[in-house]
Amino acid sequence: MRKTSSNRSIAKSAIALGLAAALTACSSTAASSAVASSAAPSEAASGAEASEDEVWLPYDENFEKKRDERDATGKTGAVASCNWYASKAGLDILKEGGNAFDAAAAVAYTLGVAEPYFSGLGGGGFMTIYSADEDKVSVIDFRETAPAAANAQMWLDENGEMKQFSLDGTNNLGTMSSIGGLSVAVPGEVAGFEYLLEHYGSDAVTRQQIFQPAIDTANNGFVVGVTFKEELESEYSGLAANETLSNIYLNEAGLPYEVGDVITNPDLAKTLQLIADGGKDAFYTGDMAQAMVDAVADWGGNMTMEDLANYEVKVREPVVGHYKDYTIYSLPPASSGGTHLVEILNILENYDDMDTIGVNSAEYVHRFSEAFKIAFADRAQYMADTDFAEVPLAQLTSKEYAAERYSEITEKSGSYVAVEPEELEHYATTSFSVVDQWGNMVACTKTINYGFGSKVGVPGYGFIMNDEMDDFSADPESVNCAEGGKRPLSSMSPSIVLYPDGSPYMTIGSPGATRIFPTIAQVIERMIDYDMDIQDAIDCARIYDNASENICYESGGVNPITAEVAAELQERGHEVTDKGEWQLFFGGVQGISIAQDGTLRGGADPRRDGKALAY
Amino acid sequence: MKKIATIAMAGALALSLVACGGSSASSAAPAASAPAASTASTAASAAATDLTEISAGMCQTPAILTSIGQSADVDIANTLCSKAGIEVTMNKNITGDELPDDCKTLILAVGGSSKGLGAAGIDADQELARTDALIAAAKDKGITILAMHTGGSARRGTLSDSFINPAFEGCDAAIVVSEGDADGLMSGILAKNSTPATYVENTAGALGALQTAFGK
Repeated sequence: MRKTSSNRSIAKSAIALGLAAALTACSSTAASSAVASSAAPSEAASGAEASEDEVWLPYDENFEKKRDERDATGKTGAVASCNWYASKAGLDILKEGGNAFDAAAAVAYTLGVAEPYFSGLGGGGFMTIYSADEDKVSVIDFRETAPAAANAQMWLDENGEMKQFSLDGTNNLGTMSSIGGLSVAVPGEVAGFEYLLEHYGSDAVTRQQIFQPAIDTANNGFVVGVTFKEELESEYSGLAANETLSNIYLNEAGLPYEVGDVITNPDLAKTLQLIADGGKDAFYTGDMAQAMVDAVADWGGNMTMEDLANYEVKVREPVVGHYKDYTIYSLPPASSGGTHLVEILNILENYDDMDTIGVNSAEYVHRFSEAFKIAFADRAQYMADTDFAEVPLAQLTSKEYAAERYSEITEKSGSYVAVEPEELEHYATTSFSVVDQWGNMVACTKTINYGFGSKVGVPGYGFIMNDEMDDFSADPESVNCAEGGKRPLSSMSPSIVLYPDGSPYMTIGSPGATRIFPTIAQVIERMIDYDMDIQDAIDCARIYDNASENICYESGGVNPITAEVAAELQERGHEVTDKGEWQLFFGGVQGISIAQDGTLRGGADPRRDGKALAY
Repeated sequence: MKKIATIAMAGALALSLVACGGSSASSAAPAASAPAASTASTAASAAATDLTEISAGMCQTPAILTSIGQSADVDIANTLCSKAGIEVTMNKNITGDELPDDCKTLILAVGGSSKGLGAAGIDADQELARTDALIAAAKDKGITILAMHTGGSARRGTLSDSFINPAFEGCDAAIVVSEGDADGLMSGILAKNSTPATYVENTAGALGALQTAFGK
């Protein structure tokens, strides 16, 4: 039951009344200024980009995340992202005649406005794209890159321990690799989407059309959802410490905005217009670049103008694998995701009854758990930026290697190779998918790493610098240690899957740090082996395991791991951890499937604020 | 959805005040800037309505603010105290031995964060041990203990609940954002112990509750 329309009408009227009162009562310049910027919500409601009646909110009347209404069906085009405003931006571009690549840029820039805690101009990521014209899948790597001055020792004290970041010397805000200037890598998002538009964009829509939804959302405001509120509270300490960010994301009392509040970011709107007008150079050179360098330096960082000017997108060959004759294209290093996604599915393919044992049965969970543990053991052993290290990609993705690893699995929980300690449970990052009427597809996962990234805001420009340096290992001996010009290891896995006949089947991706490729493996397996609809497969309860040999699972939601299954897993030697239901921990999958008759099905994850749209 | 309208009206009115004051009002914080619920006594759950309200002035300064669980909620509580005009000394990791003799109130910002625990270099068991010792020391010294849970449902779950139990069992008064106590965990403990409490609708609502508790 949607009540959005009538109540937002009330909201609009209330704002109008209040503003009218303000205008009547006052005439100072300051007052005009305040009113002008604050009038935005009612303007948004009246409709430059979306009328108030159209706004879809990801929470219900009890301010709890909706568990339904996430999917969409269409015949012509579809977008699935972690945020309604972004999905709407992409769909509008498709309807205006743009292709999937035009729409992807609109989605990306709007995500940076309305979901700024997980991605934005100050971040980076990866895209796996399918060009129908070329009948080719490519990977665009716009991952952040370590500044030239970065090194493996820069976060460590004299004892080799990670230093804490503090502005006042007493109040530690977090590790130096995860907050502050030394956590910032050179951002790649603008370069990535400029590359996409330059090489794949259509002439059917203008750059202004592509940027306008993001600009409108920043100027007119967007409604705070449940996930936004959770991130504001979780990252409050860092936000409150940075004046640029607290001015945007905390209310006048200095407290986190509440669900239902409206936030505007006019500085970011101006920044987006500058990029729309000036392209990549507007971001990587000149005043905006200097503002980034200064902001990072103010918080102890070492990024330079040269680092920004030298940033380059890398086009890579995708990792290719097969699961039961379906073809999977995903990311090569510096993301480990695609390689291990393929490895996991290759291992599972050795079982001839995966499609009959039952989703989330004890045997099913055990098999996934073992495959995950093997993949993580290999990840720690081999994975790094291939520009800096030899990675045996062919071996890790081969059927022969998977068969060897499969032979190590028994009925009991196994141990494989000792690996790095379990990572902190961050689930930041965002992922979206776009499919257009010509069959072009984009799967993109992008991030500023932890919620609100490094907490370094860029004054006057309204965006946040990433803390992607934290994805390097703090161990100077690690193959994934920090080095100037190196890209940190990732788990991102935006993927494209083809039917056995080679026609497009789906585009899919997820945030969730190291849960990314295990999560995507589960969704893909369920769609292929159990013929699940994409939304059903996304909704279905998930598990996660890594070398810690502890199966984390969802005990609620759709098709959950039952207490009986958990007990049987323990009998087989697994440790288990009940994570509850609908947990952000397990990522937030967005994807689009294409039926053989051409019907598009968009799916979005109720664990986040995701929404698919189609027409 | 009623809240949007409430906020919008409150926000618009707040804007008129800002405008009249001619201040340099935060340009990026429009309607949202107004706390939706300033009444600190909004009871949300049935159990909560059975609780005794915190009496005015039952807490006094000097006051120490600490975290129980190392979430960012302690920083939010610090901001709330500041806005409420209550002088507090924040020490996220204070131990029972470190409690000053002149301390009159110990405020516990309750909520678990694995990230926060990691940053503090401790695990959940160590934090629980500190909590138990801290509460025991405060009781020995006759210090009033005020527990605050402002993080809502996001600050619930296995980790946070492990801190809620000792903090709410040991407190003399509590301020709770209602949405985080839908299952009545906290109100059940408070009712069992006849501990006075004030339930508020949201984080901003805790400001008024704090002012009442400290007689502001």
